[in-house]
Amino acid sequence: MIEVNRLVKWHGVHEILRGIDLRVEKGEVATIIGPSGSGKSTLLRCLNGLETFQGGSVTIDGLRIEAAVRTSDRVSIRRQVCQRVGMVFQDFNLFPHRTVLENVLEGPVYVLGQNREQAEQQARRLLERVGLSSRIHAYPRQISGGQQQRVAIARALAMEPRVILFDEPTSALDPRMTAEVLAVMSDLANDGLTMVVVTHAMQFARRIAHMVHVMADGRLIESGPPSQIFEAPAEEATRHLLSEGLAA
Amino acid sequence: MEENPDASEADAASAVPSQPRIGRLLAAPPQLRVGRLLGAPSQPRIGRLLAAPSQPRIVRLLGAASSHPHTTSRGPRSGVLIRGVGQPEGRSRASWCFSWPPAFLAIGFCLLAADGLLADGLQRVRGAGKLVYGSDMEGGGPYAYPDPDSPRAVTGFEVELMERIGRELGVATEFSQGQWDKLLQILDSGRVDVVVNGYEWTENRARNYAATRPYYIFQFQLMVPRGSSVRSWSDLKRPRPDGGRWTVAVLVGSAADEYAEREGGSEVQVVRFDGATDAMLAVQNGQYDATLQDLPAARFYRERFPGLEVVGPPESEGYYVMYTRSEDTSLRDALDAALQRLIARGELQRLYEKYGIWTDPQHQLGDFTGPLQVVSGRPMIHGWELLRRYQDRLLDAAFVTVALSFGSMPLAMALGLLVAIGRLYGPTPLRVVLAGYVELIRGTPLMLQLFVLFYLLKLPPWVAGIGGLAINYSAYEAEIYRAGLQAIPSGQMEAAMALGMSRSLALRRVIIPQATRIVIPPVTNDFIALFKDTSVCSVITLVELTKQYSILANSTGGAIEFALAAAVLYMMMSVPLSWFSRWSERHLSGGGSKGGAVL
Repeated sequence: MIEVNRLVKWHGVHEILRGIDLRVEKGEVATIIGPSGSGKSTLLRCLNGLETFQGGSVTIDGLRIEAAVRTSDRVSIRRQVCQRVGMVFQDFNLFPHRTVLENVLEGPVYVLGQNREQAEQQARRLLERVGLSSRIHAYPRQISGGQQQRVAIARALAMEPRVILFDEPTSALDPRMTAEVLAVMSDLANDGLTMVVVTHAMQFARRIAHMVHVMADGRLIESGPPSQIFEAPAEEATRHLLSEGLAA
Repeated sequence: MEENPDASEADAASAVPSQPRIGRLLAAPPQLRVGRLLGAPSQPRIGRLLAAPSQPRIVRLLGAASSHPHTTSRGPRSGVLIRGVGQPEGRSRASWCFSWPPAFLAIGFCLLAADGLLADGLQRVRGAGKLVYGSDMEGGGPYAYPDPDSPRAVTGFEVELMERIGRELGVATEFSQGQWDKLLQILDSGRVDVVVNGYEWTENRARNYAATRPYYIFQFQLMVPRGSSVRSWSDLKRPRPDGGRWTVAVLVGSAADEYAEREGGSEVQVVRFDGATDAMLAVQNGQYDATLQDLPAARFYRERFPGLEVVGPPESEGYYVMYTRSEDTSLRDALDAALQRLIARGELQRLYEKYGIWTDPQHQLGDFTGPLQVVSGRPMIHGWELLRRYQDRLLDAAFVTVALSFGSMPLAMALGLLVAIGRLYGPTPLRVVLAGYVELIRGTPLMLQLFVLFYLLKLPPWVAGIGGLAINYSAYEAEIYRAGLQAIPSGQMEAAMALGMSRSLALRRVIIPQATRIVIPPVTNDFIALFKDTSVCSVITLVELTKQYSILANSTGGAIEFALAAAVLYMMMSVPLSWFSRWSERHLSGGGSKGGAVL
């Protein structure tokens, strides 16, 4: 489903990603953990074209993004990729001038050109699934952070994506709201949705991930199923990270 | 020099001759101050309130205070002229219909009383050793204009006439620049002693000011583009071949304006310009059919505008006179006597021949024995009655203001938005070009932009007016929008992109609607500013509210009435805009029932 080859990303003189290789299979829940500044979020944003990169390639659902493509091609590939890959942000990034329902309708109606009535039925189902059917006419600022993040998940789901990327989806939330959001994500994982999750929530990663990837200093230092990573980490950096994460 | 008990007083005042002593004390001419206090042009009407027959001194002062250009005579220069000497009478002291707070009364009273300390006009001038005359160089040749040989000096037949008169009176003369249609108000303020600038004799002016005998008998001269089918004024009485109306350009508020309006009838549309040469330029450009000018101007500028020709015999007849304040009769009489001597010695003829403006009718100048007289007159009207009479003109002008504003502001907003988007998201060359556009448009005055559109590109006035305002304000709106767009967090664009939106769709659906809400207050602010900036369009013949105020205030003397009426009309138009702004901020801020207004 996702294949990353030798991905290199420079930001000015800083090499943010130093040759990443990563595979995510269909139906797999992959989590990426690592200390702040290790390049997790940048990697995630390269997957759907929000960031450009200088070396290597990303292939996602058969669409290949290479470092050396013309701008116009990259723009068109990015749009195709984004229509198949959903993204949930740390800061939710809901559209504040639109209601909950309108936020969810935005993609299907204005990007996919779906009939509004059908799209609205679908949106209402999705909002019910994330537990927000009672607030569909509220504006984002009128609901809590956890509710906003669940709307953001519904907004991503409305595009019927092959993959959803989660960029630290619970970092801006308190524990109770974190639990609400993680419950929705577990539900999606159980349904077989392909997910790539950058997170600091170790317990969550351990519980639902099929694969855990550990990043440090722009490299993928260790990958494996949660049992292996959490119980028998091979790398010192991983052990250090886990002890910090568990302590937190 | 006559001696007089008051002479020492006049000498004392000589340091600031054109300002009475109280003026020095208050650092401004007293009548001007009254005007400022009232928030209206400097025509103190307060005097009327003080009218009381038991106070003869005050009553005399009132004559000074209430002097202002009452020229209801948009109407005919009717046959009320008598050649003879004497003072105008019948000045209306109708009680004033507005009641001002007593404090204003007290201040007004003090200032008026102070006015009474003024020395007699002629003594004042002699004491100061100079005669200050008000004129406007913008009116151009041959009256008073920058001297081509010495551009910082002023010359013209009136300038030279005043020099000769000064010699007759034994005083120096000093030119004082003022806007032509405000000269009488400047006279009221005490900053000049006499107004000399092609001011024709009118009944209403003569009622309120002391007019001298005529120093020139003017006629109107028609000028048309070379080769035009129009050969005389009477040709304009025939229907225009294409079925439209003849367009005749005039100097706004001039006697020619009045004449064209009155005599032109239904076949003629009068187009008003702020300057005589502006009108000539537009006609030479082919934008209008003809221009009706005072003969001296037509003769003087004939060679400057080779694309124009002078056609037909001179029309009508009128008198240029000088005006002094009505209490300065001794000054007026001295000016009359000086003129009489210049005429008798043939000096006036030689001067006029030098400027090529001596015409047959000038031979009658010597027949006058004194100022023209008002026999009787229609009573002056004031207050509501005045407003009612001219309400259609005011409303028409208000409509012009509204049409200019609502025609141009949406264009300015749309253009500004495009410029802002181009500057933020466009390719580098486009960014550079647009940054240059903003700087160019912001850095040059609206009036010049209108001149370019109207006189160089020769666009019709409405197109030039709306286009000019739209372009001018687009530069300001562009900067506002740029700030608004930059204020939207980058996560919004990312979220839109992550949904697969193109950049333009993201802008349209996500960024611009949010930026719009941010820019509503500053844009509304600009809209209100634009409302008032529409007045600049009077330079390209559009008579909007401010211009109409100026025309009516000058021609009827109802400066306060029309100032208040214009202010009320402006408020009626701008306050709803503020309400709309506040309502839309609330409505769009996400608390209402619907979001999603795109612009």
